[in-house]
Amino acid sequence: MSALWPLAGIALALLGVAAPFGGNAYATGIAFQVAMWIALAQSWSMLSATTGYISLGHAVFYGIGGYVAVLMVDAAPFPAVMLVAALAPAVFAAVVGLPVLRVRGPYFVILTYGLAELVRHVVMRIESALGSFGRMIFSAPSPDALLWWMVGLAVAATLGAWAVRHSRFGAGLAAIREDEIAAETLGVPTARLKLLALIASATIPGAVGALAMMRTGYFEPGQAFDPVVSFTIVTMALVGGTDSVRGPILGAIGFALLSEALWSNFPQLYMIVLGAALIGFVLFVPQGLSGVLDRKGGRA
Amino acid sequence: MVDTLLSGQLLFAALVSGSLYALVALGLNLVYGTLRLLNIAHGDLVMIGAYVAFWLFTLWAVPPLVALVLAAVLCAGLGWAVYAGLFRRMLAKPALAKRVEANSLILFYGISVILQNAAALAFTASPRAYRWLDTVITWGGVSMTLNRLLTLGVAAGICFGVLAFLRFHLFGWGLRAVIQRKDAAQVVGVNIERVQLITICAGFAVAGMAGVLVSMTEQITPFMGFPFTIVAFVVIIVGGLGNIGAGVLAGFALGLVETYGIALTSAGYRSILIYGIFVGVLMLRPEGLFTKAVRT
Amino acid sequence: MTLLEVRHITKRFGGIVALNDVSLSVAKGEILGLMGANGAGKTTLFSVIAGHAAPTSGEVLFKGQRLTGLSPARICRQGICRTFQIVRPMAGLSVAENVRVAALYGAHALRGAQVGARVAEALAAVGLADQRDTLAGALTLSGQKRLEIARALATGAELVMLDEVMAGLNPTEIAAMLDTLSSLRRDRGLTFVIVEHVIGALMTLSDRILVLHHGEEIASGTPQEIGRNAQVAEVYFG
Repeated sequence: MSALWPLAGIALALLGVAAPFGGNAYATGIAFQVAMWIALAQSWSMLSATTGYISLGHAVFYGIGGYVAVLMVDAAPFPAVMLVAALAPAVFAAVVGLPVLRVRGPYFVILTYGLAELVRHVVMRIESALGSFGRMIFSAPSPDALLWWMVGLAVAATLGAWAVRHSRFGAGLAAIREDEIAAETLGVPTARLKLLALIASATIPGAVGALAMMRTGYFEPGQAFDPVVSFTIVTMALVGGTDSVRGPILGAIGFALLSEALWSNFPQLYMIVLGAALIGFVLFVPQGLSGVLDRKGGRA
Repeated sequence: MVDTLLSGQLLFAALVSGSLYALVALGLNLVYGTLRLLNIAHGDLVMIGAYVAFWLFTLWAVPPLVALVLAAVLCAGLGWAVYAGLFRRMLAKPALAKRVEANSLILFYGISVILQNAAALAFTASPRAYRWLDTVITWGGVSMTLNRLLTLGVAAGICFGVLAFLRFHLFGWGLRAVIQRKDAAQVVGVNIERVQLITICAGFAVAGMAGVLVSMTEQITPFMGFPFTIVAFVVIIVGGLGNIGAGVLAGFALGLVETYGIALTSAGYRSILIYGIFVGVLMLRPEGLFTKAVRT
Repeated sequence: MTLLEVRHITKRFGGIVALNDVSLSVAKGEILGLMGANGAGKTTLFSVIAGHAAPTSGEVLFKGQRLTGLSPARICRQGICRTFQIVRPMAGLSVAENVRVAALYGAHALRGAQVGARVAEALAAVGLADQRDTLAGALTLSGQKRLEIARALATGAELVMLDEVMAGLNPTEIAAMLDTLSSLRRDRGLTFVIVEHVIGALMTLSDRILVLHHGEEIASGTPQEIGRNAQVAEVYFG
């Protein structure tokens, strides 16, 4: 059973890469969404699933990446834009990380949310002071190229999350999640590892944000830093299951497809389903979809 | 500039916001103190209270003072539903209680998203408002609308009423005992479950009443609640989680800081100011406020 | 050779003096017992040495190097590891995973095949080898106390501080724990500082005993000397 999971992952990635060749723009759009949410949820899991520090503010990394990308896309080669979009949120994470990661439990959750909102309002203020009310993007790559970039990010985030979990680094992060005081007594440099996990977790979302802005063709700070992005990431990861790398993939696929069905016509209904799923899984199915599948597989 | 800052007008505005903040935070603090649950959906109860007042007034011309009672009852009912439906069994079992406390914020965020979007679905996202008692009176050189004066009076009245009740009524003693030492309170015969249920209903009801007061002077939207949640968090973190009296004072203090801060800059900085204080307080004083000193 | 040296440590929590000018030294291979009633300052002393609490004044030296001001993780990597009176298993990880963290990050910071060998060895030393895949949270209290010791061993610590590893154990388990500790010292030349309420065990194990009372040293000497000390008898038995 378990040997099939990597194969399924490879098939999924190939499907994503092949999507544009069907000649159907809608399929390309869906593939882009699925890859985007996989990349975001996997990145989130590098910090939150491993250490138990639940971030409800990943929109800030996504937004920062999108913002710097929009500022430089007309003047720099695209790979450079992507590189800076990934590095900018990593630098931001490195700067705020130490004080933020001293805060634990539910306070960490609400702090990440507040921090993301603070940055959102600051960027909105800067933009309106510059007299800008949304920026159009004229030199974005084609939708197909954007999709291939995004699939690349989804694969990179998945491999990264897998590597973290199976490394010495991941063992230290798991120790922090289980008991931070015991961990440091055993020599785990808790502050440093948490900071590294945050930085690792912030990088790919920045690049994802850049691609997302290119795809929509405009940038508006209220939307780029929308807290709904953070909330959706958390819901996907928790519903999918945080004990394995395939959990966030399952959650991302499920909700990205649900979003396609509901978002354009019934956005509120989609959000209500998201909220209900989050509550239901946290309370009654804490192991998530992947945990349920594992148990079924084990019995069969 | 200095004239504006020294005017009674500004002080009055600060006191009105402060009284509302104190009231909203009071409800959050009650629930946190007794249940150790951080209710991030708290501001959405303010939103519900505001819609109750709006519809009652618009459809049947029911005065907001009557809506105050109905909103309180409705939100108390919601509190009961949340407690009985989600948290009772969890809190009763220590192993699960640990998990629920850690996840309480995520759970309440889910509830918040549901409430906001259900309201948007039912009432659309367009802002609403109504006019009631907006006659301007001038008193000692300060001009104010009657509804703002009423807001200040009612909000402050409820705050100090609740404080007096906690101090002088037997139930208040039990509640304060639960806030301080849950296990010990149980030993001396406090019915924890009853205290928790009543508190969550009271906390929700207070937020609903605050919503009615807010609706008299501000626009009503499905997403108006979240800023109140953040403000309430700032207030109770500054005042001390579970410390009800200090929270009321901190509420007034935040109203002053916010009003004067905006007067010195511009209204565009309001969110930055509030979130800045929030982030600053959480980052600078996490150890003093949340984690006990490690002495093992 | 002096391994650990504690010099004039004072620790205040607000107005309370938890430790008042406490000094001690521990030689390599020695077992030092700490005695004292609840609140005497034993656990606080452990916290100060291990870096969980900063002393108000005084300093701690390990192999001649100053430890005061280092983080608990750094102190562990210098070669000191403590256990907790109220056990701290990483409940969601297996017994072997708990010990593996210590092997990876402790004083020896092992890599590759050495990690597995160290984990197996530490588990065998405390008798947990056949429970290696059990979740740490599912162990009995006795098992969790053993796990604390196994983790400390796996870090490669030269000095292990045991905080009431016998408390809550039944007489059979205490006897087994005494065997374990004696053989660890004999076979590995480890140095121990032990806090213990089970006086018999403390007397049996310790080379020297230091008695704390209200944060101050009131006596120190061999177990026999402490047994004859009038002041200790008064404090303990009124």
